[in-house]
Amino acid sequence: MSNVILFNLTTVLFGVASGLYLGALYAKKDGIAVAGTWVCVLAAVVSTAALGLRWYESYMMGIGRIPVTNLYESLVFFAWAVNLFYLIVERKYRSRTFGAFVMPIAFFTMLFAIKNDSSIQPLVPALQSYWLHAHVITCFIGYAAFAVSAGVALMYLLKARQEAAKATEGVVGLFPGTKTLDDLVYRAIIWGFPFLTAGIITGAAWANYAWGTYWSWDPKETWSLIVWLVYAAFLHARITRGWHGRRAAILSITGFLATVMCYLGVNLVLSGLHSYGGG
Amino acid sequence: MVDEKRAPAPMDRVWSFFTSVKLAIVTLIVLAATSIFGTIIEQNQPPEKYHQVYEDWAFALLDRLNLFDMYHSSWFLFILVLFTVNLSCCTIDRFPKMLKVVRNPRRKLDENLEKTLSLSDRWKRKGALSDWSGKYADALSSSFAKPAVTEDGGAVHLYSEAGVASRFGVYVVHTSIVIIFVGAILGNVLGFKGYVNIPEGEAVSQVPVRGGSRVQDLGFTLRCNAFSLETYPSGQPKAYKSDLSVIDGGRETLRKTIVVNDPLRYNGIWFYQSSYGQAGGATAQVTVAKRDGTPAGSLSLAANEPVPIAGYGVVRGINYDRNFQGNGPALQVAVEKPGKPAVSFWILQGRPELDRRRDDTLVFSFGGLNSKMYTGLQVAKDPGVNVVWFGCALMVVGLIMAFFLSHQRVWVRLSPGADGRVEVVLAASASRNRLAFEKKFERILTGVKAEGQ
Ligand code: HEM
Repeated sequence: MSNVILFNLTTVLFGVASGLYLGALYAKKDGIAVAGTWVCVLAAVVSTAALGLRWYESYMMGIGRIPVTNLYESLVFFAWAVNLFYLIVERKYRSRTFGAFVMPIAFFTMLFAIKNDSSIQPLVPALQSYWLHAHVITCFIGYAAFAVSAGVALMYLLKARQEAAKATEGVVGLFPGTKTLDDLVYRAIIWGFPFLTAGIITGAAWANYAWGTYWSWDPKETWSLIVWLVYAAFLHARITRGWHGRRAAILSITGFLATVMCYLGVNLVLSGLHSYGGG
Repeated sequence: MVDEKRAPAPMDRVWSFFTSVKLAIVTLIVLAATSIFGTIIEQNQPPEKYHQVYEDWAFALLDRLNLFDMYHSSWFLFILVLFTVNLSCCTIDRFPKMLKVVRNPRRKLDENLEKTLSLSDRWKRKGALSDWSGKYADALSSSFAKPAVTEDGGAVHLYSEAGVASRFGVYVVHTSIVIIFVGAILGNVLGFKGYVNIPEGEAVSQVPVRGGSRVQDLGFTLRCNAFSLETYPSGQPKAYKSDLSVIDGGRETLRKTIVVNDPLRYNGIWFYQSSYGQAGGATAQVTVAKRDGTPAGSLSLAANEPVPIAGYGVVRGINYDRNFQGNGPALQVAVEKPGKPAVSFWILQGRPELDRRRDDTLVFSFGGLNSKMYTGLQVAKDPGVNVVWFGCALMVVGLIMAFFLSHQRVWVRLSPGADGRVEVVLAASASRNRLAFEKKFERILTGVKAEGQ
């Protein structure tokens, strides 16, 4: 199927972009990073086309559904959103150093995605719901924002350590100042948080329409709540003395680890523990 | 004593404990961390199942800590209550202060305020102060928002603001959390959840409640008229439907075909298509005729159940094949005639004439398998659900207000300068997104400065 070929191409482009950004940091040449930006733009075009094509192909197969309904598709959608978010951040903050920390997330996500079944499968009845589609899309936009935030939080921790040591040399010296980084960690989350909130709500609405219970404490739901609580803690950490900066950055990274657990861990780790079944 | 004055009274200490944001952070993290247990330990399973997994001491410990049903345990509930008290106290503490600030903003740009504002500019103009203040008030109105004018000992202060709603966003979010809790409690106290299987053609007026032995009266009768299943070519289910009727007061008051994701609602009770299955065993429909074609009755054969035919023998359906040797559905029948050994043979649904070739007084033809299905319905009554949705909508609105609106304030001070000219200071601040506001500030500044030039 041609959409899969385009997604494979996207994977290569993400890999090249990550390499260019890392290379630019290492060689301290902004020119290399500029090339990275153009590769990202190309990847955005290719992956958007691939998503559209996949949608179209599902119609041609008589299944006709939005491409966000299985593991492969949601991973791809996540990588697509991370890339887009990254490009926005790069433009707004006029610094290409973020790329080295954010684009590898998109790249590894795609590597993981292409190991999964990429065929277009028909939907079982429970999944035939607009609420579900809204749920997946909002959640993954949220996750993408959290990924960007966590990447920048990592930069913050490195930079803060260097500033404490009053050093400016090395790769870290090229990063924007801690104030900018701290601000960006926060800004990514104020985009992610409303989307995650909307994602949990639409998920609850879906569950309510399908089963008559909007909340049943199943592991997936519970983990999404855990993620939400961690980011709520982050938001309050920012407005509290003594919880700025370092602790807030750690909360952002913790939040993203919880996100990964919510998304992959529940299916891969916990379902091995007992009989949850895929979800 | 000096110390006595400094040490806060006990009540104040309690109050500041419950209004502290640090407590909120700790509670949020504790809620997040403890919630993990319930995702690792499977919840609400029968004890036998736990004994298979855990040693006796571990079972006793986990049971003691309520970790087998932790989300309804008293300690988890306690954290939730603490959280809610914290949230409420914090709101009660801060909301009036915020309201006071919003109602009574600092309309005068004094030296202290000026120092805290990073966006500012100053210039001088010749002419009468009152002329300039009028002009600048108009300019501010057209480039930003209509200002409030305050005169104070020869100086004139203009103050205008936009996006005050942003200050309320946080309170909307916090209130929405409490509303969602209220909705959840309403649903738990006044509602019920149940599950029922209804075979086709049958009806129920009571539903067993989940997680208990209680039975809930519906107050009406629900009948399943028919059930149908559609599959993809691969055999996966594509859609399943139940044709349901509500019978209330002796007559049908509602009829609806429900599918997954599209429930039926009557009197506040919702019925959700949830599962399906075969109701009892299938029966094979067999018609019997004499060799000359005169009908000799029709049989409904349950698996292996003997059915006598007077003057002939006993007939049993012993086997069914969906595709017998490539000829479609077929039934294997065993016939025992008095004093003779039993014989068995296949009859094909698609080719009834073949049975005539058998040397017998009766000819059998197979009309197909008749399997009665049942539909499995989740039943729920949740009078709090709309309260929950209202809270959810409010939360999203509140988040947007808090994060994407910005309280923007602009001050202009005109004062008589030592050289007889009018000294003008314009300063501004924004509660959010300062980067974007800087551009807006430049526009406002240019607009105001150009006035009267
Ligand atoms: C999961 C629960 C909670 C959520 C989703 C939530 C949400 C929020 C949000 C979105 C903000 C704005 C943050 C910002 O501007 O960056 C905020 C601020 C705040 N929250 Fe919460 N909150 C929660 C629980 C609490 C609790 C329990 C308290 C109790 C003390 C609290 C106290 C505050 C305070 C004092 C502020 C700052 C208000 C201000 O800026 O004037 N929050 N909250």
